[in-house]
Amino acid sequence: MSAVTAPGALFLRDIRAVLRSRSQLYSSMLMPLLFLVFLGNGVSEGLSPSKLSAGSFTAYLVAGVVVMASVFSSTFSSASYYRDRDSGIMRMFLSSPHPPRVILLGKSLAGVFIGIVQAMVVFVVAAPFVDFEWQYGLVPGLVMAAAAVVLLNVMLSGLAQALASRIQTMQGFHLVMNLGLFPLLFFSGAFFPIDNLPVWLQVLARLNPLSYAVDALELSAYANGTGGFFGLWLDFAVMAALAVAVYALGLARTPKLSYSGA
Amino acid sequence: MHPSSRETVVSAEGIARSYGGFTALDGFSLDIPAGSVFGLLGPNGSGKSTFITMLAAMDAPVRGSLTVFGASPAPALRARVGTVFQENTQDPLMRVGETLTLAGKLFGLTGNTLRDRSRQLLQAFGLADRAGNAVSTLSGGMRRRLEMARALLHDPELLLLDEPTTGVDPDERRALWSTLLERERGARTILLATNDLAEADTVCETVAFVRQGRVVATGTPESLKRGLKREVLHVTWLDATDRQLEEVQAWPGTGQVTHEGDFVHIAVDDAASLVPRLFAIAPGAVRSVTIQPSTLEDAYFQHVGRRASAPVEVAS
Repeated sequence: MSAVTAPGALFLRDIRAVLRSRSQLYSSMLMPLLFLVFLGNGVSEGLSPSKLSAGSFTAYLVAGVVVMASVFSSTFSSASYYRDRDSGIMRMFLSSPHPPRVILLGKSLAGVFIGIVQAMVVFVVAAPFVDFEWQYGLVPGLVMAAAAVVLLNVMLSGLAQALASRIQTMQGFHLVMNLGLFPLLFFSGAFFPIDNLPVWLQVLARLNPLSYAVDALELSAYANGTGGFFGLWLDFAVMAALAVAVYALGLARTPKLSYSGA
Repeated sequence: MHPSSRETVVSAEGIARSYGGFTALDGFSLDIPAGSVFGLLGPNGSGKSTFITMLAAMDAPVRGSLTVFGASPAPALRARVGTVFQENTQDPLMRVGETLTLAGKLFGLTGNTLRDRSRQLLQAFGLADRAGNAVSTLSGGMRRRLEMARALLHDPELLLLDEPTTGVDPDERRALWSTLLERERGARTILLATNDLAEADTVCETVAFVRQGRVVATGTPESLKRGLKREVLHVTWLDATDRQLEEVQAWPGTGQVTHEGDFVHIAVDDAASLVPRLFAIAPGAVRSVTIQPSTLEDAYFQHVGRRASAPVEVAS
């Protein structure tokens, strides 16, 4: 029995489900773009921040909004675990001859793929309006940005999966994801630079996985004479280690087959 | 290859399983011969679904020995097992054909084999013209038929049916069994877990009664009915006292007497001779009496001691 057919079939099925659920597709895309357009222009025009290396606040926000799109996407994608559990189809998946991690692999790869596409759409939509500088050159910069987006989405997908297998209700899951990831977005450098923050916030920023993604994306897309807050090597090393560890954690636990009311 | 002789496909010996404080199986022992249609009958919570889940290698006993095709249930064994669960296992947003395609790929079918097999089964279960429709547009009966087609897709040697006709109207139920038995009887081993005793009496060659996680009797429906009194009186009897029931039980030719609420069931050799005595012993309190030949339900009642469904009043 092919080890590729089963995850591949589940991958395609989840992609098809997202494409059919237009409200999920559009809403997870729209919110980050609204931030980019309205918050970016509002702050650029209204406050004229002078310290931004990217030029305008819209340009500065791009990296953070890419990360935000990935956060939204992973949250929405994980709703499919609850849908599959409640519709009963997860029981059918787990009655197939494959171990649970193969089933989860197919589903999570779909989540990763959707997250990557949505994050890259933000880049593409922003490109005509923002002056990317690509300090390492266009192609290497794009490759580095894509790699950062991939690692970020693998990590977020693993985190969402690990939480979904432990939290009974979708409402509880969304609450935990929002309470956990939104504060992380705030001091990740997504909305304001972290190198001028008070020391205690800088410490939190260093412990924040999203900071490394924002830093890597900014370094990939813009010129930054200081080498960023952490530096590319550290950014990618931390993201790669976390992506592997968290994704493995997400695949480790068998999903629940029914709501136990706990 | 499907087993052709009457070798044992499933063998359980003293298996046990608990969930928290609830004991689902406790010393459960059973052998299921190859190629048979085997019924597992018991009230809700008696352990039928737990046993099915174990045969599908989705759970394991904490004690005792369980083998399927001579080996302990493991994920790879699921390729030889098809399961219709008590609940539907379909995504309502998927189309009927897609549901089978996905299930087929999970069970290792691809290409023409998958296409042909899906087409045949959709045809057999009367869903060929619904292949392009969303599952959410199917009726309850159609969804159960789709479950059956899905479970048979990979041509399993052992088919596990956990209350497959729950929520299906009588016409659909008859059509479903007719299709299934016409195609499948003898071709594979079928285990039917149900609390519909009439259904089991009609379709099963062998049945086992399960009570509180343990098999209490096994045999063909005929052998289980043998030894029962010839007839059963179903009596609506208001406020029957233990003393009255003991008196009835002491009458010659009377077998087991049981009651739940105002319904009293009396196994008896000659029901007609007993009826006048009943009205005499409880004037005004006996409101209706129905005489029926003994059925599998009565054998079940005798062994399990509790009805799978509320008694139906036939005459008053």
